[in-house]
Amino acid sequence: MSTSAATGGDVVYWDPYRPDLGKDPYPTFKRLREEAPLYYNAEYDFYAVSRFADVEACLGNHETFISGRSDIMEFMREDMEVPKGMFIWEDPPEHTAYRAVVMRVFTPKRMNALEGMIRDYCVRCLDPIAGNDRIDFIADLGGQLPGGVIGMLLGIPDEDRDAVRDQVEASLRTEEGKPMELEQANLTGENYEEYIDWRMKTPSDDLMTELLNTEFKDATGTVRKLTKEEVLIFVMLLAGAGNETTSKLIGWMGKILGEHPDQRREIAADRSLVPAAIEEILRFEPPGPSVARYVAKDVEVLGQVVPAGSVMLNLIASANRDESRFTDPELFNIHRRDPPHMTFGRGIHSCLGMALARVEGRVVMEEILKRFPDWTVDTDNAQLSSSSSTRGWDTMPVFVG
Amino acid sequence: MAKITYIARDGETLVLDVERGSTVMRGAVDNALQGIIGDCGGACSCATCHVYVDPQWYDKVGEIGATEEILLEEVCDPQPNSRLGCQITITDDLDGLVVRLPEKQV
Repeated sequence: MSTSAATGGDVVYWDPYRPDLGKDPYPTFKRLREEAPLYYNAEYDFYAVSRFADVEACLGNHETFISGRSDIMEFMREDMEVPKGMFIWEDPPEHTAYRAVVMRVFTPKRMNALEGMIRDYCVRCLDPIAGNDRIDFIADLGGQLPGGVIGMLLGIPDEDRDAVRDQVEASLRTEEGKPMELEQANLTGENYEEYIDWRMKTPSDDLMTELLNTEFKDATGTVRKLTKEEVLIFVMLLAGAGNETTSKLIGWMGKILGEHPDQRREIAADRSLVPAAIEEILRFEPPGPSVARYVAKDVEVLGQVVPAGSVMLNLIASANRDESRFTDPELFNIHRRDPPHMTFGRGIHSCLGMALARVEGRVVMEEILKRFPDWTVDTDNAQLSSSSSTRGWDTMPVFVG
Repeated sequence: MAKITYIARDGETLVLDVERGSTVMRGAVDNALQGIIGDCGGACSCATCHVYVDPQWYDKVGEIGATEEILLEEVCDPQPNSRLGCQITITDDLDGLVVRLPEKQV
């Protein structure tokens, strides 16, 4: 086993549950890339790849590394039934048919067209706190804006968005040091049922109405509309996906720019640096640091056979710091001229909402820097949470000025 | 190998040797060319490898697939010669291909 490659009897160990490792996983990731690029963890029975090329190859090979048993390793252990329409956890041809329904909605052009609306929402969050000497990137912004935006897109009423966010967060959170429980994930979408019923009676120009009316060719080749159950799943999936990860992007923005004042001031002085700064934040601290695949058939990885039935964890956060792709990868540098990061994944399941996340990130950075060009992180009161699928700040309080 | 010329919006030109079987997107990303992202790695899913194919080459780069056609309506500033770089596979016939980059991908 590759773990034996470690030097001096000090064998590299990693799992996604230990808080001490989750706090700063990067030294461990570096050792994994060097000492055990195909890592096997016997305690939780999973494999992990950590180098950029290996993660890219794995995520690109959707026939061997399948998503049909979810992309969260705890859930793969259970004999879970993935509901129809939960396309992130389906394989072709079902995945292809469902994703095509929403593919054209989340494209760069459509998302850029939302910029004005996103900016208005952002300004509404920030103006009331503009004079404060303390702000919290999560409570004041990250916890509000992404859910508000996806809610507006979908047509979920404003007053219910907090409840939606809380439910999604609860479904992804792990108790410290422990794997996730399948029972906590609510996969029926029943929370949204009343909105769907309401939208069926009172159509609007929102995405929910579009989902109810769009005709698509399903996996059997039949042209039809989505069933109500499928629309429910779609809405739940999009509301959840558009919320948690973008919130974490905003939290990381507060943390990283807080700790790199020179680069922050550079961006504040030259707004054309904002898009590159967003990409560098995404590379440096991906809100989704790892994603799992189920191994559908025996496959050779780095000279070893990984047997069918295994769980393969793709360490995206490690790939983003691979020395063979990025110059001085452990440095935050908005001026880097390296090839792109892998934060949005790769292959047919790569993040559908990437264009939306980028617009939101850009707008947030611009509006923050307009009002708060300088801040310092209140490290004592910033709380990190980390699971096998997400990693980021529950609170990111900062001292302004 | 085929020589592929990538011309950025500001006129900056880069000529890359790209392997047969690779793609216009892959050739750019592997060489850290700024201006092509290719988030999905070539699965025709993300629309971030948009290029304008030089009109002289347009008929030689292959047909547009159904998914690509949908995504090409949704890129920033689509033009009649727009293509997704991941859907143009490099062959010997494409030696000398010229593509221009859009103002932005996202």
